[in-house]
Amino acid sequence: MLRVNPLKKSVWVFHLNTGSCNACDIEILDALTPYFDVERFGIKLVASPRHADLVLFTGPITRKTLPKVVNALRAVPRPRYVLAIGACAVGGGIWYDTYSVIGGVEELKKILEENGIEIDKIVYVPGCPARPEAIIYGVAVLLGLVEQKVHGEVKIAE
Amino acid sequence: MMSADKLVKIVTEKLSGLADEIRYVESAGIIVRVKPVNLREAAHIVHDDIDAYFRTMMAVDERPLNNTFAAYYVFGRDQEGVNIIIETHADPLTPVLPTIADIVPAADWYELEAWDLLGIRFKDRKLHRFVLPDDWPEGLYPLRKDVEYTARPSPRITYKPPLQGPRLPVGPYHPALHEPEYFELFVEGERVVDVEYNGFHVHRGIEKLAESLRFTYQKVPFLAERICGICGFVHSVAYTLSVENAAKIEVPERAQYIRSIVLEVERLHSHLLWLGVACHLLGYDAGFMHSWRIREKVMVLAELLTGSRKTYGINLVGGVRKDINTYKITAINNTLAWLRSEFTKLADLVTSVPQIVRRARGTGILPRDEARKLSVVGPVARASGLDRDVRRDYPYCAYKDVSFKVPVYTEGDNLARVLVRVDEIFEAMNIIEQLLDQLPGGPIMAEEIEVPEGLIGVGNVEAPRGEDIHVIITGRGRPYRWRVRAPTYQNIPALRIMLHDAPLADAPLTIASIDPCFSCTDRIVVIDLKTGRREKLKAPSIPGGCGCKIWV
Amino acid sequence: MGLKKLFKPFKLISVARHSGVVTVLYPYQKPLITAEFRGKISIDASKCMGCGACANTCPPNALILSRRDNTIILNYFIGRCIFCGRCAEVCPVGAITVTHEFELASMSTRDLNESLVHQVEKCSGCGGGLGATRRMLQYVILHSPTAENYVHLCPNCRKKRFINALVMKMGARTENVES
Repeated sequence: MLRVNPLKKSVWVFHLNTGSCNACDIEILDALTPYFDVERFGIKLVASPRHADLVLFTGPITRKTLPKVVNALRAVPRPRYVLAIGACAVGGGIWYDTYSVIGGVEELKKILEENGIEIDKIVYVPGCPARPEAIIYGVAVLLGLVEQKVHGEVKIAE
Repeated sequence: MMSADKLVKIVTEKLSGLADEIRYVESAGIIVRVKPVNLREAAHIVHDDIDAYFRTMMAVDERPLNNTFAAYYVFGRDQEGVNIIIETHADPLTPVLPTIADIVPAADWYELEAWDLLGIRFKDRKLHRFVLPDDWPEGLYPLRKDVEYTARPSPRITYKPPLQGPRLPVGPYHPALHEPEYFELFVEGERVVDVEYNGFHVHRGIEKLAESLRFTYQKVPFLAERICGICGFVHSVAYTLSVENAAKIEVPERAQYIRSIVLEVERLHSHLLWLGVACHLLGYDAGFMHSWRIREKVMVLAELLTGSRKTYGINLVGGVRKDINTYKITAINNTLAWLRSEFTKLADLVTSVPQIVRRARGTGILPRDEARKLSVVGPVARASGLDRDVRRDYPYCAYKDVSFKVPVYTEGDNLARVLVRVDEIFEAMNIIEQLLDQLPGGPIMAEEIEVPEGLIGVGNVEAPRGEDIHVIITGRGRPYRWRVRAPTYQNIPALRIMLHDAPLADAPLTIASIDPCFSCTDRIVVIDLKTGRREKLKAPSIPGGCGCKIWV
Repeated sequence: MGLKKLFKPFKLISVARHSGVVTVLYPYQKPLITAEFRGKISIDASKCMGCGACANTCPPNALILSRRDNTIILNYFIGRCIFCGRCAEVCPVGAITVTHEFELASMSTRDLNESLVHQVEKCSGCGGGLGATRRMLQYVILHSPTAENYVHLCPNCRKKRFINALVMKMGARTENVES
């Protein structure tokens, strides 16, 4: 197991759409445009998974894209980080149980283990679609710059 | 130009010999029921003699209702705004229908889809996997009523080695594309001779999901909105219109106006997005950044009106959830005034860069007669000389109360498609201003919402990409069958003509110029191909048609 | 013609200078959120009565009501929420409010679960479970005051009480007949 070194400098990202409706994808592109401008942090969109530090994962994985997603993730060099963006990638979305959908990153982890691919860190960003600011916050949580705000809780009603 | 009654008389005259029954249903159109043997003749008469466009085809498993498989072919006459639906039924044990893909070339993909999802065989044509993936077992047809929507045969991952030979695979993960799609371009030197589209990577099983017990009529608009993240509200409105037409629900005027205003706001954002992406593909990143900078104000406006930047979620069967007050109206007016001045400068800038104009002029030409044969829709049709616009021809929501121009160009090249969209942005701003002037008061939600079973309804909307049409057969509590036909589905077969014999460098702009939205196209199951083709094919695979081969 | 064509690229410079710098330096500046924005929902534990109307209307099943032993548990999975706000619209007691919270990134999906546990009321006759919480019974009584007579009994005990009352009434009549 590699000791995970959080990269505090600029991360290079690869955008992987596994069958999403595109709303989260255009919000990712929106993060590059002048209003949000992630290039001021040094984040750059790269063309090949071999150059990537971080994989921006959107979409509930569909059956047809599954082999290609596994190939693409295998091509990312260690340490591999994944940012699961949107309701589809985190929990399977509104169609989490249909015949054509695998169900998001949680279900994918089991398939990846069978194929011997390890992911060093996964951060989940809910939203439908996830705002560009939420994506920036997610990258900051992954790099260890901020603490996450949500904590699971169990309340007793009385 | 004749009235609807005259059209009914003409249709009855011409088809009375062939049809078993002709009836006029206000929510759907003229429904003509024929036996399968008369289907080809009837399709020829409607498509060529009566000169109606082919809009969509819906195949239904009606074995619980009347023990047959049914197919509804929807044609439409733009001049009167009336649909002509040919209905035919096939045997429940071995469903076979004759193919009409040589008479109506636009029907090619619909027959492949019906074969893949429902198992209806079509005579005299080659059938192959279309939507479902490679490892899907034979004989399991997801849209049949005896298959559960959660049926998942276990996936098998096999790594396919890259293909050899003079093919250029573009996709499924490519830096120029935002969605997984796979175009195979066959090249000879620098010229493209053939293109194959292997798509349906984004198939999620939405039509089947809406029929399941998990969903009801009021939950489906949220599902429909997520068919596509760029033009989602269009699908939501088309679905609610189809249910409201079928069940004759009285939607208040104010709700229709609010829907139209949000639809036009969506058109603004979608066209600005497309303009930015087209500039980016041509290498002009300054255009990309400026057009998305302008678009950001539209997104903030949408969030103010509806509550979310995208996937608005304000539409329900019978009306809308959120109202517009004077504060929002002032915000819309301010944004439009700012947008008009900024966009005039941007359009002037983009069309004055000589490199862009020279690359877009004369490339990706789609001639008018080919466009008519394929019944293409939207800006692609309007740039090739076909004067089609659903807002004017089959009016819906509040569009009958406003007046607007429909831009038509005749060259049919990429530049024409750019100019059509630029003109449409200005028209959309005019339409919003007219709608705000005439906004009526009143409630925003219907009083009585009751949907009886067994009715057929058609809802159509002009999406930024073209005509979006939904056909629904109502069931108890949820739809019995819901057919979504997105505009890109009708436009992709035209790519084969546009890319034929074109230089390779023009391919990205041409593919982007039809404004493809693959999430809209793939909303049903993915098919995989089992045939292993290794040689270049120049002739179409179906007699007389210009079908796109789907290949995995 | 020559001079005009030469100066065409300078249009871009004038457009760029006119628009200026528009970047919102999030997180050092506040994000562009309007008052209508729908973020995460918050469930008020003091109002929720465990009826499940929200779970019924949630399109992606992010709110799930389940019963286990003597408890009713309402689970909210933020990961699958589509932020539509329908749950807030249909809640009969107004326990759900939509907040502006969108900074929801988390390292594990377990942190994205919020649960609310209700106790199930016991029947005052036999002590078995009633399948409803105390607040649900109070809600029913509020809207239909005569229900107070039978709403704390399970169906079996209600049947027994009805039969007893009937027998007593008939017994009284036979007494009258005799005398």
